[in-house]
Amino acid sequence: MALPLKKKSDAAAVTVPPWHPNLRIVETLPDTKVVRTAFFVNGAAMLLALVLVLLLGVQEWKLHEVNKQIDDWQRQIDRDTKQSDEAKALYADFQSEEAKVDEVADFVASRPKLSNIILRLGQITPKKIAFDSLDFRDNGFNIRATIKGAPDPATSDASAYLKQLRVDKVLGPMLHEVDLLTLVKNQMSGRMVMEIFCMYKKGGVKKP
Amino acid sequence: MTNEELMLFLKKNIISVSCVVVSILIGITLYYRSDALPDAEKILADKAQEGELLAANIEDSAQLKEQHVAIVASNAAIDDRMIRVNQLAENYQYMYRLESETGTKLTDPRQNAWTPPAKNAVKTNFTIVNFNLTAQGEYAQILDLLRRLEDGEHYCRVNTLNLRAVSVNRGGPVTMAITFDLLAIE
Repeated sequence: MALPLKKKSDAAAVTVPPWHPNLRIVETLPDTKVVRTAFFVNGAAMLLALVLVLLLGVQEWKLHEVNKQIDDWQRQIDRDTKQSDEAKALYADFQSEEAKVDEVADFVASRPKLSNIILRLGQITPKKIAFDSLDFRDNGFNIRATIKGAPDPATSDASAYLKQLRVDKVLGPMLHEVDLLTLVKNQMSGRMVMEIFCMYKKGGVKKP
Repeated sequence: MTNEELMLFLKKNIISVSCVVVSILIGITLYYRSDALPDAEKILADKAQEGELLAANIEDSAQLKEQHVAIVASNAAIDDRMIRVNQLAENYQYMYRLESETGTKLTDPRQNAWTPPAKNAVKTNFTIVNFNLTAQGEYAQILDLLRRLEDGEHYCRVNTLNLRAVSVNRGGPVTMAITFDLLAIE
Protein backbone atom coordinates (compact mmCIF):
# COMPACT_ATOMS: atom_id res chain seq x y z
CA MET A 1 0.00 0.00 0.00
CA ALA A 2 1.32 3.40 -1.01
CA LEU A 3 2.08 5.83 1.71
CA PRO A 4 0.02 9.02 1.75
CA LEU A 5 2.02 12.00 0.53
CA LYS A 6 0.61 14.33 3.10
CA LYS A 7 1.64 14.31 6.70
CA LYS A 8 -1.43 13.54 8.75
CA SER A 9 -2.30 16.12 11.31
CA ASP A 10 -3.15 15.30 14.86
CA ALA A 11 -6.71 16.44 14.35
CA ALA A 12 -7.17 14.03 11.47
CA ALA A 13 -5.85 11.27 13.62
CA VAL A 14 -8.45 12.08 16.17
CA THR A 15 -11.42 12.46 13.82
CA VAL A 16 -10.88 9.16 12.02
CA PRO A 17 -12.09 6.48 14.29
CA PRO A 18 -9.34 3.97 14.78
CA TRP A 19 -10.15 0.41 13.99
CA HIS A 20 -7.22 -0.73 15.99
CA PRO A 21 -5.06 0.94 18.55
CA ASN A 22 -2.93 3.66 17.07
CA LEU A 23 0.48 3.07 18.36
CA ARG A 24 2.27 5.56 16.09
CA ILE A 25 4.16 8.45 17.66
CA VAL A 26 3.22 11.09 15.10
CA GLU A 27 6.07 13.46 15.99
CA THR A 28 8.68 10.86 15.28
CA LEU A 29 7.27 9.62 12.00
CA PRO A 30 9.43 10.51 8.94
CA ASP A 31 8.30 13.23 6.52
CA THR A 32 7.18 11.44 3.44
CA LYS A 33 6.39 14.54 1.17
CA VAL A 34 8.46 14.39 -1.98
CA VAL A 35 8.05 18.13 -2.73
CA ARG A 36 7.50 20.58 0.08
CA THR A 37 4.74 23.21 -0.14
CA ALA A 38 7.40 25.77 0.59
CA PHE A 39 9.02 24.85 -2.70
CA PHE A 40 5.93 25.95 -4.62
CA VAL A 41 5.49 29.04 -2.50
CA ASN A 42 9.12 29.99 -2.95
CA GLY A 43 8.92 29.17 -6.65
CA ALA A 44 5.84 31.32 -7.15
CA ALA A 45 7.39 34.18 -5.20
CA MET A 46 10.61 33.93 -7.18
CA LEU A 47 8.72 33.74 -10.46
CA LEU A 48 6.70 36.81 -9.53
CA ALA A 49 9.87 38.67 -8.55
CA LEU A 50 11.59 37.56 -11.73
CA VAL A 51 8.70 38.69 -13.92
CA LEU A 52 8.64 42.05 -12.19
CA VAL A 53 12.42 42.40 -12.55
CA LEU A 54 12.08 41.61 -16.23
CA LEU A 55 9.29 44.14 -16.64
CA LEU A 56 11.33 46.78 -14.88
CA GLY A 57 14.36 45.88 -16.95
CA VAL A 58 12.46 46.12 -20.24
CA GLN A 59 10.92 49.41 -19.19
CA GLU A 60 14.27 50.86 -18.16
CA TRP A 61 15.92 49.59 -21.32
CA LYS A 62 13.24 51.27 -23.45
CA LEU A 63 13.64 54.43 -21.42
CA HIS A 64 17.38 54.29 -21.91
CA GLU A 65 16.94 53.89 -25.67
CA VAL A 66 14.49 56.77 -25.84
CA ASN A 67 16.77 58.98 -23.75
CA LYS A 68 19.65 58.09 -26.04
CA GLN A 69 17.59 59.18 -29.05
CA ILE A 70 16.63 62.37 -27.23
CA ASP A 71 20.31 63.06 -26.63
CA ASP A 72 21.05 62.45 -30.31
CA TRP A 73 18.33 64.87 -31.39
CA GLN A 74 19.47 67.41 -28.80
CA ARG A 75 23.00 67.26 -30.17
CA GLN A 76 21.65 67.79 -33.68
CA ILE A 77 19.47 70.66 -32.48
CA ASP A 78 22.42 72.30 -30.71
CA ARG A 79 24.47 71.92 -33.87
CA ASP A 80 21.78 73.25 -36.25
CA THR A 81 20.19 75.99 -34.15
CA LYS A 82 22.68 78.71 -34.98
CA GLN A 83 22.65 77.97 -38.69
CA SER A 84 18.86 77.76 -38.71
CA ASP A 85 18.52 81.07 -36.84
CA GLU A 86 20.80 82.71 -39.36
CA ALA A 87 18.73 81.26 -42.19
CA LYS A 88 15.52 82.48 -40.56
CA ALA A 89 16.89 85.98 -40.10
CA LEU A 90 18.09 86.02 -43.70
CA TYR A 91 14.72 84.78 -44.90
CA ALA A 92 12.90 87.47 -42.92
CA ASP A 93 15.10 90.06 -44.60
CA PHE A 94 14.50 88.34 -47.95
CA GLN A 95 10.75 88.57 -47.39
CA SER A 96 10.90 92.28 -46.66
CA GLU A 97 12.97 92.78 -49.82
CA GLU A 98 10.58 90.58 -51.76
CA ALA A 99 7.64 92.68 -50.55
CA LYS A 100 9.22 95.70 -52.25
CA VAL A 101 9.56 93.84 -55.53
CA ASP A 102 5.99 92.55 -55.24
CA GLU A 103 4.72 96.04 -54.57
CA VAL A 104 6.36 97.33 -57.73
CA ALA A 105 5.15 94.33 -59.75
CA ASP A 106 1.58 94.85 -58.49
CA PHE A 107 1.74 98.53 -59.33
CA VAL A 108 2.95 97.91 -62.86
CA ALA A 109 0.46 95.09 -63.44
CA SER A 110 -2.50 97.05 -62.07
CA ARG A 111 -3.18 98.73 -65.41
CA PRO A 112 -2.72 97.50 -68.96
CA LYS A 113 -0.04 99.14 -71.07
CA LEU A 114 -2.06 101.51 -73.17
CA SER A 115 0.67 101.99 -75.75
CA ASN A 116 0.44 98.27 -76.54
CA ILE A 117 -3.35 98.48 -76.88
CA ILE A 118 -3.10 101.49 -79.20
CA LEU A 119 -0.49 99.76 -81.33
CA ARG A 120 -2.60 96.61 -81.50
CA LEU A 121 -5.66 98.62 -82.48
CA GLY A 122 -3.60 100.20 -85.24
CA GLN A 123 -2.51 96.75 -86.45
CA ILE A 124 -5.94 95.13 -86.59
CA THR A 125 -8.17 98.01 -87.64
CA PRO A 126 -9.16 97.86 -91.32
CA LYS A 127 -8.05 100.75 -93.52
CA LYS A 128 -11.60 101.86 -94.13
CA ILE A 129 -12.02 102.60 -90.43
CA ALA A 130 -10.27 105.76 -89.24
CA PHE A 131 -10.00 106.68 -85.58
CA ASP A 132 -11.41 109.99 -84.48
CA SER A 133 -10.52 109.56 -80.85
CA LEU A 134 -9.49 106.98 -78.30
CA ASP A 135 -10.55 107.43 -74.72
CA PHE A 136 -9.11 105.12 -72.06
CA ARG A 137 -10.68 104.94 -68.61
CA ASP A 138 -10.40 102.76 -65.54
CA ASN A 139 -12.90 100.16 -66.71
CA GLY A 140 -12.26 100.15 -70.46
CA PHE A 141 -11.76 102.25 -73.54
CA ASN A 142 -13.93 104.06 -76.00
CA ILE A 143 -13.22 104.08 -79.72
CA ARG A 144 -14.75 106.74 -81.90
CA ALA A 145 -14.10 106.13 -85.57
CA THR A 146 -15.32 107.01 -89.02
CA ILE A 147 -16.11 104.29 -91.53
CA LYS A 148 -15.03 105.27 -94.97
CA GLY A 149 -17.15 104.53 -98.00
CA ALA A 150 -20.87 104.36 -98.55
CA PRO A 151 -23.16 104.23 -95.52
CA ASP A 152 -24.86 101.01 -96.65
CA PRO A 153 -22.08 98.53 -95.95
CA ALA A 154 -20.94 100.54 -92.91
CA THR A 155 -23.13 98.61 -90.48
CA SER A 156 -21.70 95.29 -91.56
CA ASP A 157 -18.20 96.79 -91.39
CA ALA A 158 -18.93 97.97 -87.86
CA SER A 159 -20.22 94.59 -86.69
CA ALA A 160 -17.29 92.84 -88.37
CA TYR A 161 -14.93 95.17 -86.53
CA LEU A 162 -16.69 94.43 -83.22
CA LYS A 163 -16.32 90.73 -83.84
CA GLN A 164 -12.69 91.23 -84.74
CA LEU A 165 -12.08 93.06 -81.47
CA ARG A 166 -13.79 90.31 -79.47
CA VAL A 167 -11.79 87.47 -80.99
CA ASP A 168 -8.47 89.23 -81.31
CA LYS A 169 -5.74 87.10 -79.75
CA VAL A 170 -4.24 90.08 -77.91
CA LEU A 171 -7.23 92.26 -77.04
CA GLY A 172 -9.89 89.53 -76.78
CA PRO A 173 -8.59 87.88 -73.59
CA MET A 174 -8.52 91.20 -71.73
CA LEU A 175 -11.95 92.38 -72.76
CA HIS A 176 -15.18 91.49 -71.02
CA GLU A 177 -17.53 93.20 -73.42
CA VAL A 178 -17.29 95.00 -76.75
CA ASP A 179 -20.39 97.07 -77.41
CA LEU A 180 -21.39 99.30 -80.27
CA LEU A 181 -22.75 102.40 -78.57
CA THR A 182 -23.70 104.51 -81.57
CA LEU A 183 -23.56 104.32 -85.34
CA VAL A 184 -24.70 107.58 -86.88
CA LYS A 185 -24.18 109.43 -90.10
CA ASN A 186 -21.98 112.49 -90.00
CA GLN A 187 -24.04 115.13 -91.80
CA MET A 188 -20.94 117.10 -92.79
CA SER A 189 -18.97 114.24 -94.36
CA GLY A 190 -21.81 111.88 -95.13
CA ARG A 191 -19.87 109.01 -93.59
CA MET A 192 -20.90 106.74 -90.77
CA VAL A 193 -19.37 107.41 -87.39
CA MET A 194 -19.35 104.65 -84.78
CA GLU A 195 -18.61 104.62 -81.11
CA ILE A 196 -17.49 101.40 -79.45
CA PHE A 197 -16.89 100.74 -75.79
CA CYS A 198 -14.54 97.91 -74.82
CA MET A 199 -14.90 96.96 -71.16
CA TYR A 200 -11.96 95.34 -69.38
CA LYS A 201 -12.48 92.06 -67.61
CA LYS A 202 -13.17 92.52 -63.91
CA GLY A 203 -10.53 91.53 -61.40
CA GLY A 204 -7.55 92.87 -63.23
CA VAL A 205 -6.36 93.03 -66.75
CA LYS A 206 -3.46 91.09 -68.11
CA LYS A 207 -0.95 93.22 -69.87
CA PRO A 208 -1.28 92.95 -73.64
CA MET B 1 2.37 36.70 16.92
CA THR B 2 5.36 37.54 19.02
CA ASN B 3 8.61 38.92 17.69
CA GLU B 4 10.27 35.58 18.16
CA GLU B 5 7.60 33.84 16.18
CA LEU B 6 7.86 36.51 13.50
CA MET B 7 11.63 36.13 13.31
CA LEU B 8 11.21 32.39 13.18
CA PHE B 9 8.67 32.71 10.35
CA LEU B 10 10.99 35.03 8.44
CA LYS B 11 13.95 32.73 8.88
CA LYS B 12 11.95 29.74 7.86
CA ASN B 13 10.53 31.47 4.73
CA ILE B 14 13.45 33.70 3.91
CA ILE B 15 13.27 33.11 0.14
CA SER B 16 9.60 33.70 -0.33
CA VAL B 17 9.57 36.67 2.00
CA SER B 18 12.58 38.18 0.22
CA CYS B 19 10.95 37.63 -3.14
CA VAL B 20 7.72 39.23 -1.98
CA VAL B 21 9.59 42.21 -0.56
CA VAL B 22 11.57 42.59 -3.79
CA SER B 23 8.36 42.24 -5.81
CA ILE B 24 6.68 44.94 -3.77
CA LEU B 25 9.65 47.26 -4.19
CA ILE B 26 9.79 46.61 -7.93
CA GLY B 27 6.03 47.10 -8.18
CA ILE B 28 6.32 50.47 -6.47
CA THR B 29 9.22 51.40 -8.76
CA LEU B 30 7.24 50.28 -11.81
CA TYR B 31 4.27 52.32 -10.67
CA TYR B 32 6.25 55.49 -10.04
CA ARG B 33 8.27 55.16 -13.25
CA SER B 34 5.32 54.17 -15.42
CA ASP B 35 4.98 57.78 -16.63
CA ALA B 36 8.66 58.15 -17.44
CA LEU B 37 8.51 56.30 -20.76
CA PRO B 38 5.46 58.10 -22.20
CA ASP B 39 6.95 61.42 -21.06
CA ALA B 40 10.28 60.58 -22.65
CA GLU B 41 8.54 59.52 -25.85
CA LYS B 42 6.68 62.81 -25.95
CA ILE B 43 9.94 64.70 -25.44
CA LEU B 44 11.51 62.59 -28.16
CA ALA B 45 8.67 63.42 -30.56
CA ASP B 46 9.04 67.14 -29.80
CA LYS B 47 12.81 67.04 -30.18
CA ALA B 48 12.54 65.07 -33.41
CA GLN B 49 10.05 67.59 -34.79
CA GLU B 50 12.27 70.49 -33.75
CA GLY B 51 15.34 68.80 -35.17
CA GLU B 52 13.62 68.06 -38.46
CA LEU B 53 12.36 71.64 -38.64
CA LEU B 54 15.86 73.00 -38.12
CA ALA B 55 17.25 70.59 -40.68
CA ALA B 56 14.55 71.65 -43.14
CA ASN B 57 15.36 75.32 -42.50
CA ILE B 58 18.98 74.67 -43.31
CA GLU B 59 18.14 72.59 -46.35
CA ASP B 60 15.69 75.19 -47.66
CA SER B 61 18.21 77.96 -47.19
CA ALA B 62 20.72 76.28 -49.48
CA GLN B 63 20.51 79.03 -52.12
CA LEU B 64 19.04 81.72 -49.93
CA LYS B 65 22.23 83.75 -49.69
CA GLU B 66 22.54 84.00 -53.46
CA GLN B 67 18.84 84.79 -53.81
CA HIS B 68 19.09 87.43 -51.10
CA VAL B 69 22.03 89.08 -52.80
CA ALA B 70 20.12 89.05 -56.09
CA ILE B 71 16.96 90.54 -54.62
CA VAL B 72 18.89 93.22 -52.75
CA ALA B 73 20.56 94.16 -56.01
CA SER B 74 17.14 94.24 -57.70
CA ASN B 75 15.79 96.52 -55.01
CA ALA B 76 18.76 98.82 -55.37
CA ALA B 77 17.91 99.05 -59.07
CA ILE B 78 14.24 99.61 -58.19
CA ASP B 79 15.15 102.40 -55.77
CA ASP B 80 17.14 104.11 -58.51
CA ARG B 81 13.99 104.18 -60.65
CA MET B 82 11.84 105.86 -57.99
CA ILE B 83 10.98 109.54 -58.05
CA ARG B 84 11.02 111.57 -54.84
CA VAL B 85 7.74 113.13 -53.83
CA ASN B 86 9.21 116.48 -52.86
CA GLN B 87 11.71 116.84 -55.68
CA LEU B 88 9.31 118.73 -57.93
CA ALA B 89 12.02 120.26 -60.07
CA GLU B 90 13.52 116.89 -60.92
CA ASN B 91 10.09 115.43 -61.58
CA TYR B 92 9.21 118.20 -63.99
CA GLN B 93 12.67 117.90 -65.51
CA TYR B 94 11.79 114.29 -66.34
CA MET B 95 8.68 115.45 -68.21
CA TYR B 96 10.52 118.07 -70.19
CA ARG B 97 13.31 115.64 -70.98
CA LEU B 98 10.69 113.34 -72.47
CA GLU B 99 9.33 116.29 -74.41
CA SER B 100 12.72 117.04 -75.94
CA GLU B 101 13.52 113.40 -76.63
CA THR B 102 10.20 112.72 -78.39
CA GLY B 103 9.75 116.05 -80.12
CA THR B 104 6.28 116.52 -78.70
CA LYS B 105 4.99 119.67 -77.13
CA LEU B 106 3.82 119.43 -73.56
CA THR B 107 1.19 121.73 -72.26
CA ASP B 108 0.36 121.90 -68.62
CA PRO B 109 2.38 119.06 -67.11
CA ARG B 110 1.34 118.99 -63.46
CA GLN B 111 2.27 117.00 -60.41
CA ASN B 112 -0.87 116.78 -58.31
CA ALA B 113 -0.83 117.39 -54.59
CA TRP B 114 0.39 114.41 -52.63
CA THR B 115 -1.09 113.51 -49.31
CA PRO B 116 0.73 111.14 -46.98
CA PRO B 117 -1.08 107.87 -46.27
CA ALA B 118 -3.31 107.70 -43.20
CA LYS B 119 -1.71 106.43 -40.01
CA ASN B 120 -3.95 103.37 -39.92
CA ALA B 121 -3.38 102.58 -43.59
CA VAL B 122 -1.47 99.48 -44.61
CA LYS B 123 2.22 100.32 -44.52
CA THR B 124 3.83 100.22 -47.93
CA ASN B 125 7.39 100.67 -49.07
CA PHE B 126 6.53 103.14 -51.80
CA THR B 127 3.95 105.78 -52.44
CA ILE B 128 2.13 106.97 -55.53
CA VAL B 129 2.32 110.44 -57.07
CA ASN B 130 -0.27 111.48 -59.62
CA PHE B 131 0.46 113.60 -62.68
CA ASN B 132 -1.56 115.26 -65.44
CA LEU B 133 -0.12 115.88 -68.85
CA THR B 134 -1.29 117.10 -72.20
CA ALA B 135 0.95 116.60 -75.19
CA GLN B 136 0.68 117.46 -78.84
CA GLY B 137 2.61 116.05 -81.75
CA GLU B 138 2.59 113.60 -84.60
CA TYR B 139 0.98 110.26 -83.91
CA ALA B 140 4.35 108.49 -83.85
CA GLN B 141 5.81 111.08 -81.50
CA ILE B 142 2.87 110.84 -79.14
CA LEU B 143 3.07 107.07 -79.13
CA ASP B 144 6.79 107.32 -78.49
CA LEU B 145 6.09 109.62 -75.54
CA LEU B 146 3.54 107.18 -74.15
CA ARG B 147 5.91 104.24 -74.54
CA ARG B 148 8.73 106.11 -72.87
CA LEU B 149 6.43 106.98 -69.99
CA GLU B 150 5.19 103.40 -69.56
CA ASP B 151 8.53 101.70 -70.12
CA GLY B 152 10.78 104.52 -69.04
CA GLU B 153 13.11 105.05 -66.16
CA HIS B 154 10.31 105.45 -63.61
CA TYR B 155 7.53 103.00 -62.79
CA CYS B 156 4.39 104.36 -64.39
CA ARG B 157 0.78 103.37 -64.85
CA VAL B 158 -1.58 105.37 -67.00
CA ASN B 159 -5.00 105.89 -65.46
CA THR B 160 -6.82 107.77 -68.18
CA LEU B 161 -5.86 108.72 -71.69
CA ASN B 162 -7.61 110.65 -74.40
CA LEU B 163 -6.14 110.65 -77.86
CA ARG B 164 -7.69 112.68 -80.65
CA ALA B 165 -6.78 114.55 -83.75
CA VAL B 166 -6.09 118.24 -83.41
CA SER B 167 -7.91 119.08 -86.61
CA VAL B 168 -10.34 117.26 -88.83
CA ASN B 169 -7.61 116.56 -91.34
CA ARG B 170 -6.29 113.01 -91.18
CA GLY B 171 -2.59 112.51 -90.73
CA GLY B 172 -2.12 115.75 -88.83
CA PRO B 173 -0.94 116.24 -85.27
CA VAL B 174 -2.78 114.59 -82.40
CA THR B 175 -3.37 115.61 -78.83
CA MET B 176 -3.02 113.29 -75.89
CA ALA B 177 -4.32 114.11 -72.41
CA ILE B 178 -3.32 111.62 -69.76
CA THR B 179 -3.33 111.18 -66.04
CA PHE B 180 -0.76 108.79 -64.72
CA ASP B 181 0.87 107.62 -61.49
CA LEU B 182 4.55 107.31 -60.81
CA LEU B 183 5.86 105.15 -58.00
CA ALA B 184 7.77 107.26 -55.53
CA ILE B 185 9.72 107.37 -52.30
CA GLU B 186 8.63 109.87 -49.69
